[in-house]
This record gives sequence, structure tokens and C-alpha cells, in this order.
Amino acid sequence: MSGLANNLSFYLVVSAIMFVFGIVAALSRKNTIGIFMGVELILNAAALNFVAVKLLQTKAAASPTQDGAIFSLFIIVMAAIEAAVALAIVLRVFGVKRSIDPDGMARLRG
Amino acid sequence: MKLIDIFTLLIGISTVLTSSIVAFHPNILYAAISLTFTLISVAGFYVVLGADFLAAVQLIIYVGGIIVVILFAIMMSENIYRARFLDQARKYLAPIVFSTAIFWVLFKLISKTQFSLVADPVRVPISESVGVALTTLYALPFEYIALFLLVGLVGAVIVARPDYKEIHYKDEGSSK
Repeated sequence: MSGLANNLSFYLVVSAIMFVFGIVAALSRKNTIGIFMGVELILNAAALNFVAVKLLQTKAAASPTQDGAIFSLFIIVMAAIEAAVALAIVLRVFGVKRSIDPDGMARLRG
Repeated sequence: MKLIDIFTLLIGISTVLTSSIVAFHPNILYAAISLTFTLISVAGFYVVLGADFLAAVQLIIYVGGIIVVILFAIMMSENIYRARFLDQARKYLAPIVFSTAIFWVLFKLISKTQFSLVADPVRVPISESVGVALTTLYALPFEYIALFLLVGLVGAVIVARPDYKEIHYKDEGSSK
């Protein structure tokens, strides 16, 4: 039995807990920025999983692939784009409505 | 237990605690500061897993960039001591039931699966192999994500700036 640092289940459970807290934050916050922070938690949990499954890689592989690390890199870039666009939308909505309550953003409703 | 196992356990505890603060703290500013520590803990996980390049990227982009953007948005948008969300228990009920169900399914899946782990996984620096992979096998996705980043940032600037009819009229008025 290997130690905790080599135990894939530990990483998967921690990332599942992060994912679940992210869902709670995204669904229950009354603030656009709070929802956005929940989405960040969800993205981080996914990226952590992609890196953690590297532990399944066998030692025999001559040149280990870094697919998981590259997917995590793309997730981080996606999160950066999302942060920029989310801040832009928050600033624009605040300029128009003087509030960033997500329930108030209903002007496009038919 | 070896030193790395104790380190991993501490990082796991800090990840869970700080992400629970992100989900449940009524003040949005404290939640954002707690999110910083969650992201640093994830960077610690990357270090434990031997992904040194990703740990650096995580610290630079998330902790250095995204957290600053979030704090900026909090400061810009509302009085921070007024920025509390309505913490009625009713509002939490449905999300907690829903996410407990998801967590139960995930936990069952993780605990039932027999992973064929290697006894002593290799932990070598990944910077070189990531760099090689980004310029050979993943060259097209890398260029695509760069284009995506550019389009996203230009779009963010266009969304964030004031109505450009006003700017246009103002320019015409000043030129006359």
C-alpha cells in the first residue's frame, strides 16, 4: 500500500468536495461575483482531476505523456478569459442598473 | 507516513476548509480572500503531484491575475461592507440537497473503482515535456486557445467600455 501522496482516491475525493462547494456557491449566491467564484472552484476541481490521473501512468513508459497537464493548462487559460469577460459584464451591468443582483438582470426577458 | 504524505493531508484539509468558506461565508470579500487560499492549495497539490510548471502557472494566472480581477470587481461594484447576500436557510436548501446527491454518486464511484496504481510513480519536472508537446502534438490547440484568448479580451474591452454612440457624437462635437 502506497502512501497518501500516491493515493489517487484522495485527490479525487478532495476535488469532488471542491466541485460540490462550487455548485453550492454558484447556485445559492445572491451576487454575480459569488456565482463566478463558484464557477472558478468547479474549474479548479476539474483541472486537479486531470493532473491527478497522472498517478495511473506506468513507470515503464519511455516518454511519459503530459496530456493531463496540457488539458489543465487550457482550463486555466479558459478561466482567465472567463474572468475578463465576467468582469466586463459586471461593470457594464453595474453601470446600467447600479446593482449586480443576478435576479435583477431580466431586461432581455420577453 | 512520509513527509510528503503529511504535506498532502494538510493541503487537502486546507482546500476543503477554504472552499467551504467560499461557498458559505456571507461577506463576499472574505469569500474572495478565502478563494485565494483555495487556489494556492491547488497549486500545492500540483507540486505534490510533480507538475511543477502547472503550479507556477496556477500561482501566476489564478492568484496573480484572476483574484485581482475578482477583488477589483468587488471594490468597483458595491460598498464591500454592504455586499452581503441574503442568507436565508431556504435559499441554501435546494443547492445543498442537489450537491449532496452529486457528491454521494461521485464518492460511491471513487470508492468502488479499483485503480491500478503504480507503486512508486515518477515525479520528474514536466516543463520540458509540456513545452515539446505544445509545439508538436498540441500546436494547433495551442494556437487556437491563443486566438480564443485574444478574441475574448477584445470582446471584454468592447463590452466594458461606455456606449460608443456617445463617444462618436462627442468626437463630432469637438471637431466642429
